[in-house]
Amino acid sequence: MPTEVIMPALGMAQETGKVVRWLRNEGDQVVKGEALLEIETDKVTVEIEAPADGTLAGVRVPEGAEVPVGTPVAVVLAAGETAAPVADPEPRVVREVEAVAAAPAGPAPRSRRRLASPKARRIAQELGVELDALTGSGPNGAVVAADVEAATPAADGGAFEVGSVWRVMAERTARSWQEVPQFVLRRDVDASRLESWRGSVRRHPGNEKVSHTDLLVKLCAEALRRHPRVNASWRDGAIAAGATINIGIAVATEDGLVVPVVHAADTLSLGAISARRREIAEAARAGRLRAEDVQGGTFTISNLGMYGVDAFQAIVNAPQAAILAVGRILERPVSLNGEVVSRPMLTLSLSLDHRVVDGARGAEFLDTLAGLVEEPAGLVT
Amino acid sequence: MPELTFAQAVNQALAEELRRDDTVFVIGEDVAEAGTPFKVLAGLVDEFGPERVLDSPISEPGITGLGVGAAVTGMRPVVDIMFGDFLTLVMDQLANQAAKTHYMSGGKLKVPLTLRTTMGATRRSAAQHSQSLHAWVAHVPGLKVVLPSTPADAKGLLKTAIRDDNPVVFIEDKMDYAVKGEVPDGEYTIPFGVADVKREGEDVTIVATSSMVRVALAAAEQLETEGISAEVIDPRTLVPLDRDALIASAEKTGRAIVVDEGHQSYGASAELAAVIAERAFYSLDAPVRRLGAMDVPVPFSPPLEDETVPTPETVAAAARQLCGRT
Repeated sequence: MPTEVIMPALGMAQETGKVVRWLRNEGDQVVKGEALLEIETDKVTVEIEAPADGTLAGVRVPEGAEVPVGTPVAVVLAAGETAAPVADPEPRVVREVEAVAAAPAGPAPRSRRRLASPKARRIAQELGVELDALTGSGPNGAVVAADVEAATPAADGGAFEVGSVWRVMAERTARSWQEVPQFVLRRDVDASRLESWRGSVRRHPGNEKVSHTDLLVKLCAEALRRHPRVNASWRDGAIAAGATINIGIAVATEDGLVVPVVHAADTLSLGAISARRREIAEAARAGRLRAEDVQGGTFTISNLGMYGVDAFQAIVNAPQAAILAVGRILERPVSLNGEVVSRPMLTLSLSLDHRVVDGARGAEFLDTLAGLVEEPAGLVT
Repeated sequence: MPELTFAQAVNQALAEELRRDDTVFVIGEDVAEAGTPFKVLAGLVDEFGPERVLDSPISEPGITGLGVGAAVTGMRPVVDIMFGDFLTLVMDQLANQAAKTHYMSGGKLKVPLTLRTTMGATRRSAAQHSQSLHAWVAHVPGLKVVLPSTPADAKGLLKTAIRDDNPVVFIEDKMDYAVKGEVPDGEYTIPFGVADVKREGEDVTIVATSSMVRVALAAAEQLETEGISAEVIDPRTLVPLDRDALIASAEKTGRAIVVDEGHQSYGASAELAAVIAERAFYSLDAPVRRLGAMDVPVPFSPPLEDETVPTPETVAAAARQLCGRT
């Protein structure tokens, strides 16, 4: 009995999954547990592993197409089996899938394989270059690695290899930049009380690792509770309120930016926020984030203070309406009651989706947040 | 660092181990007064006496069997087999006794035997004194096989061989004995199973053993003038083999040549090439090439003999071909 490869549901509400790329091809021998294809939900890209040893067959969903979850996207045939019993992947309700419904079932007739070195084949697949389109300079016209590299529109220095995390980041930031009418509100706040708050919190056992980001998660959760309009999304011509306050934290990893989420941040103690933040940041850096770790965010904090950045404009993490960009805390001269004094100052930059939050509402939220940063008393838990 | 010849480095290693450990002794044909036909052991009998540097009758199976027995009963014999061609005579002692005893005694017996012998053609010694038969012994589980290529490696590896509790076949290329090289001062050993990158490069990996390392380095010099950067790797021990080093280099360069003086068919070069083909396959931009001795008895005629073994020219030609520069 052929073993079906099923488009899985990675989230509770997920209805479809998109085939990003096939890592193995029709007719390939595969081993149970090896990655067959990459799929993407609206949050993450994950690899789907072979459910059994055997020959990959029935590969019909093309790269880029979406299919309903639960749909078989291929089968793995054991020795002697044929692709005949494969269920046709109906119903195909989604987009490009219609176009391929006519594709022949079962393994395609074996065409003459283009001569190419193993390295050329591998990098062509990685770079998305069609071998058939290339002129081979190797023996008998075989394509070698240099031919693939020459055909790749790379800068003089060659190409940097990127993984799925980077591609998701690239796609999502580009889409936000193009589709979301975003603007930035900026405000300098006095961080003296934030600093002393952090100092006192860290004296409590178990809280030694509380960071500025943890404090800001706590304060943003409170500000969002008071301004639910910012904790919302533009969806189909209406503003959808977030059910809970789930704060994403931008985490830089070697593979690219990821935004794991502290769920229901307004209900968590500072210690719990800190523990969760450390857990997801570590998982992010180790590449171990689960789908549920990155789903459901309603607001994002990006802190580049540790890199010495004074202030910056973050790109709205659509479909969220707002992202807070946090700079470093630096002693600066400020004029206070006619006197120039030195204070630890912090610049908060709030990027907003104008379809959800206009300037005045955004300013009110930022004013609340600034007030909480400057007077965090009462939130200490 | 002092410069020593390969023969002096071997001599020094033996002298140091004879001094260090009373159970070490040397036995072989013409090893004492003559110091071997290659003068490798010259002077050892003067320092250590004829009871520790023993001239034997002409019976390779006999002295190897004596070595196995002495090793099992607590000595650390170094058996000298003048020509590697005579491995054929000692194969029963090596393959059926030395290699099996530890295993078949359930680990109760150890065979800390070192068998030194030679390999290599182009010495005008004809077909029965020119063979490189290291693949024969490398095929037998239980034997370690060492192929040093420099004086420094020879010294460090021979000391490791003598201290190893397993039978070790230590094979020196006759043509290397006069080659000089820097040898570190003082006491040192070199672990088995650690390859040495003799030259770093980017475009093609040349895995070479024994005297073929010199051939590969000369080829690399030539290739450099043509804009091809060759990396030369010496496994140093065939058993145990540093597979990871070969694979890492082949993955880096995408091209690999294996140069070994054994006959090319069914030889050590085949094993080394297979390791690379199996584990670095998706990084290879060209087939792995083997360069071994021609599959003929080594001719006595010098012009013909020279044709049978890899040379810097044939190695460089193979590298050019793999790099698409024909």
